[in-house]
Amino acid sequence: MPMVLLNCDKDIPERQKHIYLKAPDEDTRDYLPLSNAATIPGTLSERGCAFCGAKLVIGGVLKDTIQMIHGPLGCAYDTWHTKRYPTDNGHFNMKYVWSTDMKESHIVFGGEKRLEKSMHEAFDEMPEIKRMIVYTTCPTALIGDDIKAVAKKVMKDRPDVDVFTVDCPGFSGVSQSKGHHVLNIGWINEKVDTLEKEITSEYTMNFIGDFNIQGDTQLLQTYWDRLGIQVISHFTGNGTYDDLRCMHQAKLNVVNCARSSGYIANELKKRYGIPRLDIDSWGFSYMAEGIRKICAFFGIEERGEKLIAEEEAKWKPKLDWYKERLKGTKMAIWTGGPRLWHWTKSVEDDLGIHVVAMSSKFGHEEDFEKVIARGKEGTYYIDDGNELEFFEIIDLIKPDVIFTGPRVGELVKKLHIPYVNGHGYHNGPYMGFEGFVNLARDTYNAVYNPLRHLAGVDIRDNAQTTPIILREAA
Amino acid sequence: MKLEDKIEDVFAYTEERCLWQFYSRTWDREENIEGVVNQAIALLSGKPGNREKPMDRLHYADAKIMVDDLRERYTWVNEANEPEIREVMEGLKKRLVDTTITRSTNRELTHHLY
Repeated sequence: MPMVLLNCDKDIPERQKHIYLKAPDEDTRDYLPLSNAATIPGTLSERGCAFCGAKLVIGGVLKDTIQMIHGPLGCAYDTWHTKRYPTDNGHFNMKYVWSTDMKESHIVFGGEKRLEKSMHEAFDEMPEIKRMIVYTTCPTALIGDDIKAVAKKVMKDRPDVDVFTVDCPGFSGVSQSKGHHVLNIGWINEKVDTLEKEITSEYTMNFIGDFNIQGDTQLLQTYWDRLGIQVISHFTGNGTYDDLRCMHQAKLNVVNCARSSGYIANELKKRYGIPRLDIDSWGFSYMAEGIRKICAFFGIEERGEKLIAEEEAKWKPKLDWYKERLKGTKMAIWTGGPRLWHWTKSVEDDLGIHVVAMSSKFGHEEDFEKVIARGKEGTYYIDDGNELEFFEIIDLIKPDVIFTGPRVGELVKKLHIPYVNGHGYHNGPYMGFEGFVNLARDTYNAVYNPLRHLAGVDIRDNAQTTPIILREAA
Repeated sequence: MKLEDKIEDVFAYTEERCLWQFYSRTWDREENIEGVVNQAIALLSGKPGNREKPMDRLHYADAKIMVDDLRERYTWVNEANEPEIREVMEGLKKRLVDTTITRSTNRELTHHLY
């Protein structure tokens, strides 16, 4: 089956290169959606900006770091609180937001003095916090404010603080993916190997590309503790600035989100010879596989088998209860990129769900190679989908549930199709064994929710009868 | 069962389960395909596998899970002798190189930087 030109795209035929319907006896050598390319004029993209990729996804997760956003207020507010990544120190990162609040006069006369003042104010207000990341934004990049020079001046004035700068304005890439890259490469160039921490285990690793969405990192940490593995750094879920300076000390890099964080794992391998092991942390089968691989690397296989047996005994019956009720459900996944290939087989194998369409906002061609290899025939694979395409795809594949973000989620709710928050989750964590039961529960609650049927009834029409709700009894 | 069908079996498994074939750059993919499949050949032939250096241990870890799964999925794997295993797995290597490197249209594969 060639690439697909949807009816809604007839005036922007370039979109055909971005949408693929998998057919028998085809693979990625034949058809691979064009991706990580500039959004086509005429299509309304769902993408975020490069600054957002650096701040919202990676830097803003840290639990001990001031996130100073050098720009107008909106850049700060719109990348704060839209993802739920708690911490074990009282959610410092979610309580506060910092901005230099650039106004017209600062744009005209330059904002470096304002940035310097803001940095000092923030450190003065929070004397217990000694770490900061400064981000440039579109306007401050355009006027040429030198945030690195300001950071050096502040560090000279305050010898006890450390500041990292991310020079990644929103316009600097085609999507948030550029921000991931800039932060990864900047961090390894400037901060890794600037601190040493105490080593407490002969088994050490960095866990890379997990952002503690609703407690993912904290759940997985219980596994690493039980296995006796010291996690040198979490990049960046529930993580600290200083732990990330010690990444060079680990013996293994375990990567979950290869898209946002694969760059630093590659560089750690190139510069320090630390192997990169990619795993999937969502799903029973995948999680068990990941634990087995980590344990095989360290030669502690027996510990891994014991952990898996304990977790499966506890959670498998609950998972099976949901599987019995969810098998045959048709799911669409419209998220950032990696969750397409992390989830398509795990929901199929563990829950009997059939994924019928997947759309990626910022995935690269590597992500589509992975997801087309894993995904089913008859499924749509879409790069940078827009609203009209979503509506047309819904007509074509009629999903029972859509995993996506709140913005698209609100759209599909109006069509009385339930959505589950595929970015920040409904009620996570979703990783690990317990987490996948949570995902199954939220999917079940969405699919069997009677409200969405009732919302389709026009009570002004007396002739219309209330639809029969087919709800499986618990 | 024909050789091509056995190669198709292990290729289908690898497509479905193995992220190591899809690392970022051509040289990463070549290193992983060579390293993991060679370790798998050793394990499938009843040898212990090489765990000397960190990269050996990495490839061993990926190969160990692969071998366990292949033995569980395909009965012919348990009946094959060492030359047969080597022939199938060398066929897998060629197929993976063709799919993920030689004929891949991924535009980032040969970029000299990460």
